[in-house]
Amino acid sequence: MSEAARLPLRRRPAFWAAGIFVAFGIISVLRMTDAIGSTTGFILMVIAMLQIVPLTRASLAKQRSTGHLSPAIVRYTRRFLLASFGYMLGLGIAVTIADRVDLSEIESFLIALLPVIPVLGMIWTMARYLIEEEDEFLRHRAIMASLFGLGGVLTLGTFWGFLETFEVVPHIWAWWVFPVWAIGMGLGQCWMALADRRANDGLGDES
Amino acid sequence: MKNRLKVLRAERNWSQQALAEELGVSRQSVNAIETGRYDPSLPLAFQIAEVFELTIEEIFLRD
Repeated sequence: MSEAARLPLRRRPAFWAAGIFVAFGIISVLRMTDAIGSTTGFILMVIAMLQIVPLTRASLAKQRSTGHLSPAIVRYTRRFLLASFGYMLGLGIAVTIADRVDLSEIESFLIALLPVIPVLGMIWTMARYLIEEEDEFLRHRAIMASLFGLGGVLTLGTFWGFLETFEVVPHIWAWWVFPVWAIGMGLGQCWMALADRRANDGLGDES
Repeated sequence: MKNRLKVLRAERNWSQQALAEELGVSRQSVNAIETGRYDPSLPLAFQIAEVFELTIEEIFLRD
């Protein structure tokens, strides 16, 4: 049995990640079917987001056990967690105000800044991580994952843009670039972790 | 790049974690260098050589 399989559920990052995913899915369905209002939906989303705290704890514990943890990663995780809460709060407030109040152009611009500022905070957090990480291998991995995400967003963005130009697909908002890049970065990390595991299976890793 | 890190470490009875702590890097870094998945920078290679009291050429071999 693997080490991960021996861990109780509440200590597995996948358990909390699945919890967030399922909760968001259920809330989205309830919103789409008008079973709940936007305010209730927002409150439920914030409650669902609280699972990010145990997810972070479980992830840090797992990284510690696999030898991937550094002080810079701990700082990065804390900052990113804070920015994520800021984003949820900013987005919720912005959407709630925009739904209820007739805004001028300047007011709309200021409202748009509410979710933008925390996203800028996330980008700053990632930049700080690359500056603060003293372990060159972990820094190398983070850069490779960023490039993986960048490649993904450039490919998808360019492809989608031309499909949109020729009216094959509908228009999508430009703010999608950041989540798509972040997902690509996550996939890059998974791909490298799999490569690590394969290499260690062949050579006999010490845990 | 090939290296003799695993053999040298075994000769001294050092774990990956002990070597990582000595070098001030993560255990995963030592693992990646040992398995040839990551070539260290020159400063880290010098640091590794210093820890083993050998020259870089005695640890890292050309492909």
